[in-house]
Amino acid sequence: MSSQPQIVIEGVSHVYRPTRGKEVTALENVSLQVGQREFLALLGPSGCGKSTLLYLLGGFLPIEKGSISVDGKPVAGPGPDRGIVFQHFALFPWKTVRANIAYGLERQGMAREQREARVQSLVDLVGLSGFEDSYPSQLSGGMKQRTALARTLAFEPAILLMDEPFGALDAQTRHLMQTELLSIWQRTPKTVIFVTHDVQEAVYLADRVAVMSARPGRIKTIVDTKFDKNSRDVFKAPHFVDKVDEIWNLVRDEAIKAQGGRGM
Amino acid sequence: MAGVAHAEPIDAARFFSAAGLVVARSSVVVLLLVGWELFARSGAVTMFVLPPLSAVLERIWIDASGDLWLNVGLTLYRAVVGFLIAAVAGIMLGMAISRSAVARWFFDPIISVGFPMPKIAFLPIVILWLGVYDVSKISMVVFDAIFPVVTATIIGIQGVEKELIWSARNMGASKREVMWQVVLPAALPQILTGLQVALPIALIVAIVAEMAMGGYGLGGAMMTSSRFADSRGVFAALVEIAIVGYVLVKLMAVLRRRLLVWHQEASEPATV
Ligand SMILES: Nc1ncnc2c1ncn2[C@@H]1O[C@H](COP(=O)(O)OP(=O)(O)OP(=O)(O)O)[C@@H](O)[C@H]1O
Ligand SMILES: [Mg+2]
Repeated sequence: MSSQPQIVIEGVSHVYRPTRGKEVTALENVSLQVGQREFLALLGPSGCGKSTLLYLLGGFLPIEKGSISVDGKPVAGPGPDRGIVFQHFALFPWKTVRANIAYGLERQGMAREQREARVQSLVDLVGLSGFEDSYPSQLSGGMKQRTALARTLAFEPAILLMDEPFGALDAQTRHLMQTELLSIWQRTPKTVIFVTHDVQEAVYLADRVAVMSARPGRIKTIVDTKFDKNSRDVFKAPHFVDKVDEIWNLVRDEAIKAQGGRGM
Repeated sequence: MAGVAHAEPIDAARFFSAAGLVVARSSVVVLLLVGWELFARSGAVTMFVLPPLSAVLERIWIDASGDLWLNVGLTLYRAVVGFLIAAVAGIMLGMAISRSAVARWFFDPIISVGFPMPKIAFLPIVILWLGVYDVSKISMVVFDAIFPVVTATIIGIQGVEKELIWSARNMGASKREVMWQVVLPAALPQILTGLQVALPIALIVAIVAEMAMGGYGLGGAMMTSSRFADSRGVFAALVEIAIVGYVLVKLMAVLRRRLLVWHQEASEPATV
């Protein structure tokens, strides 16, 4: 890991101003640094601004307060260096699985043969062989999610922004995909920011886990979770269980606050 | 693909239920036509007020070796050319209005006032300006049919999920590519609905313009028959117009199904 952090978020706030309805402060004074090749998990109660933070990082929303820089340069719009997997997939419904995955490669101008080979290898990777020519409306939620994942992995972004990418998967597929993601991450130089509601998943995948507070979202604590994840019984290891328990308590406190806030 | 061996009885059952549906649907039309024939022959009305269907069909048969195809062709030409111009111009205008604040500022009030207005009221002016030939008829068609296309395009584009646009931008699409490759296909179901509204309007306006301006075309032929007190000719033209309209609308529905194979509605049983 290089000494200079790859992603530097400093004092970022974000307020949604819908044309109708009242303003919502989604993020308030968020500061966070993520190192090169680091895997950071982002946990927090629903509505605390996790997706918003990813949108800001992706360059989809304007940064109104604070600053975000990637590789020393301020974020000024979307780019394929930061690949995002959206919480609600955002697949192109008029394109088949194959064409969805190929889209980013087409934009890069990759030659047809090379592109087809790459798309096929990604289809195999996420276990969608046989569904290459299906449209998203013909897929299950988990299959859509895997298509979205393959589409983003296809153009090999240096930074992966993943918004609950395994949320719609069954337990087995979920575990397979987690292991696959870990091995991709270990094989290729990637920095990952991974939003999840699953504490065990966060501890298993991430080097560090950032816990966010209830709305307006802030970074409440960052917990170090870097230890060897390759052993078979990692889920039963005492230090793993302890970490899960520690983080679970932090998240639960915030979730209760979020509930209380709604009651007022 | 699965269970090929068992496919036959299922297919047969499907065929009969589909055929049953067609019969059930068309039976209302058949009933009305038979009612027409019987009522006209009952002697309650004269042949002049309501000629029997058989007499009208006979007349169409005779027309078929006369001016029928010329009239149908001319009306179709005016309606379809006007419709196509309205479709292309309407989609372009809708895109421009969705994209640029200046275009929105300029066209929004025009559309709000123009859409509910009976455009056919401009017919006398258009005749004065452009004469009574195809240019003025097609202009009337365009003028009337463009409004539903523009509005549907604007609504369709507004409804495109921002995450779809973002994910294209994320993969390196330029603003222009996003417009043509993402926004337009995402808005296509709405735009096609607008076109489906515009098509019958195009036919109606073509025929009304022909009725007002005379000459060849189904509307003109109907007015000529009326002037000569040829009631069979008027009814023949009505039946011809109904058939032309039905075929056009059906073709449009087929086109929609073709273009939207990816859409959920494509896999649902057709209701049209
Ligand atoms: N377009 C928008 N307009 C107005 N408010 C919004 C908009 N998008 C999000 N918000 C508000 O901002 C807050 C943060 O939303 P965000 O989607 O970032 O939460 P989240 O942490 O991703 O939640 P979840 O875990 O449920 O996905 C929420 O309270 C939400 O109501
Ligand atoms: Mg979210």
